[in-house]
Amino acid sequence: MSRLMSIRDNAAFTIINRYKKLIIAFLLILFLFVLGEITVETFFSLGQILLTLKLASFIALFGLCQMVVIAAGGSGLDLSVGYTATITAVFTAAIMDGQNANLWMAVFVALGLGVAIGLANGVLTAYFKLPPLVVTLAMANILQGVINVYTAGKNITGRPSPVLQIIAAKSTGIFPNIVFILIIVTPIVMIIMYKTKLGLKLFGSGSNETAAYLSGVNVKMVRCTAFIFSGTLASLIGLLLIGNMGIAFKDMGSNYVMPSIAAVVVGGVSLTGGDGNYVGVILGSIFLQTLTNLLVALGWGDAGKWTGFGIVLFALLIVYLSSRHRR
Amino acid sequence: MSRVNKKRKPAEDSALRGLISNPDFSRLLILIVMFALTAVLQKNFFALKSIVRNINSFTPLILLTMGQAVVIISGGLDLSVGSALSLLTCVLTSVMREGMPITGAYALVLTFAVAMVIGVINGIGIGYFRIPPVIVTFATSFIWLGIALFLRPTPGGETVDWFQAFYKIGNIENAPASLKAFGDIVPPALILVLIGCVLWWAISRTRTGRYIYAVGSNSESAYETGINTAWVQMQACMINSVFIFLAALFFVGQNGSGDARMGDPLTLKAIAAAVVGGIALTGGRGSVYFALVGALIFSFVSKIIFFANIPNAYQTLFGGVIVIIAIAGSQIYTLSSRRAMEESKLT
Repeated sequence: MSRLMSIRDNAAFTIINRYKKLIIAFLLILFLFVLGEITVETFFSLGQILLTLKLASFIALFGLCQMVVIAAGGSGLDLSVGYTATITAVFTAAIMDGQNANLWMAVFVALGLGVAIGLANGVLTAYFKLPPLVVTLAMANILQGVINVYTAGKNITGRPSPVLQIIAAKSTGIFPNIVFILIIVTPIVMIIMYKTKLGLKLFGSGSNETAAYLSGVNVKMVRCTAFIFSGTLASLIGLLLIGNMGIAFKDMGSNYVMPSIAAVVVGGVSLTGGDGNYVGVILGSIFLQTLTNLLVALGWGDAGKWTGFGIVLFALLIVYLSSRHRR
Repeated sequence: MSRVNKKRKPAEDSALRGLISNPDFSRLLILIVMFALTAVLQKNFFALKSIVRNINSFTPLILLTMGQAVVIISGGLDLSVGSALSLLTCVLTSVMREGMPITGAYALVLTFAVAMVIGVINGIGIGYFRIPPVIVTFATSFIWLGIALFLRPTPGGETVDWFQAFYKIGNIENAPASLKAFGDIVPPALILVLIGCVLWWAISRTRTGRYIYAVGSNSESAYETGINTAWVQMQACMINSVFIFLAALFFVGQNGSGDARMGDPLTLKAIAAAVVGGIALTGGRGSVYFALVGALIFSFVSKIIFFANIPNAYQTLFGGVIVIIAIAGSQIYTLSSRRAMEESKLT
């Protein structure tokens, strides 16, 4: 009897161990809500939670871009995601012009832009072996520059098509529609990541480059593809962003770059590659959005938000990354 | 005789080839070409006024690049230089009160302390906890940005009159005439760069200077030979902080205000300029003085683009393109010159 108990305890222990980081992320969210309820009145309400979910969905989608690039390894990071989204939003605003009929054209342009940007990032990092961070940061500058040139001396005209607005901004009953997108995307991503050859190749390239190469994986191609995926998805998120906001403006996406990385770290995804549990990233996004809400409710605004994000990211990096080889 | 000649000829040939494929030589050559191009394009390039103006516009990038170079050589990379610079300008302008000269001294001391804390925190992350430098400094950059926004949500602030000594001594009302005359010939910006060079010269003579290279080129063996690698990397971050501090003094002297977002574009430029100067991003290789050369090349190229009458809106775009071309070019050049060196050794 006691032996059975110990086995069961063991099983419970392994489950806890495996999902340790997810549990930590979940506890962090609960902690924030309790803290919010204590310091700010009416923080813990259904409406507040649903709004948090809606805004967190955007961070989570950007987090998916980041997670795939990080999982492919080679110290990959994509700092251009937010700018890719902005450039798509700015360009497609005029194309759509508030008409559903023009949506296909807009999606086509978004895909083209996303693939081109991702391909440029991927080729420069994977094939030319340039540091991903510097390349994507420079790409961010280039995209911001293109936006500056495009918008110089004129207003950004155009409105999103009504379909986009329904998807990104409206709610069905009490649930924001964007949450349904996330609910559809999550299982697809999880299945691709954990059950298909594609996911195996991705994780293989990230966790052990040499082993992956020797077993016939084209590591460079995998990493390049990861960047193309990131660029394309970021570009499509740009469409959702303009759908949500109703207009396009110059730095609508750039504020998502930092949260997308922080969400991945809070979600417990290893930054060294070869790992990627998207549920964790979603929890991370909810945590960050809750933190933002709390800091805004306390009246600390942007300054508090960035300081808070920075400190959380720094602290979690120490907790998750330093344990193995501290000196 | 003829045999000797025959033997010597290929040797001379390979010496020439060696010189050309010597990265330092070609970097200086590029610098001279860029210098000449700018001299041709800019009117009155050799007039004292425009020399001073050029030095002033190049100084912040030079200082930040040298600091960044120290960190890169130690095996790190600092993505927080830009926001650290912004934070320091905000601290300076928050402490100073107009018309109270003594507050300038308080500001200097306090800001230097803040700079050191910035270096220590980055150093803890990079050195002691061994988190990938890129990510840890990405995180800290937002901490600095946030604190800077707390201090100064919008650009502004007060300075004391004598703080202009870091930009133009002639602007100070009651400075002695001899000092003003000296400042007209030797701009304070040049002195700041010299302070930076002397600082690195002094450090490179010490054990720390050698350790920085040792840790950067092979952290594991450095650790095995008994070097405290974490402390060395933290010291590198603190040296970087001194350079950022010098740049902050110049900025506040020049603008008389603090701005939480002002330094952001400089981060990428400083990294790119260091790469152009031959600092290997893998660590352990390159010279801090050549980082200065890299910063100068980068500045001259920007200047030349400016003279090509490109509208202001294109500046960010071209900045990004230059960075990618610069690092891709350096990468290709390093690879090909290494191959050439190996070939010349074989023959």
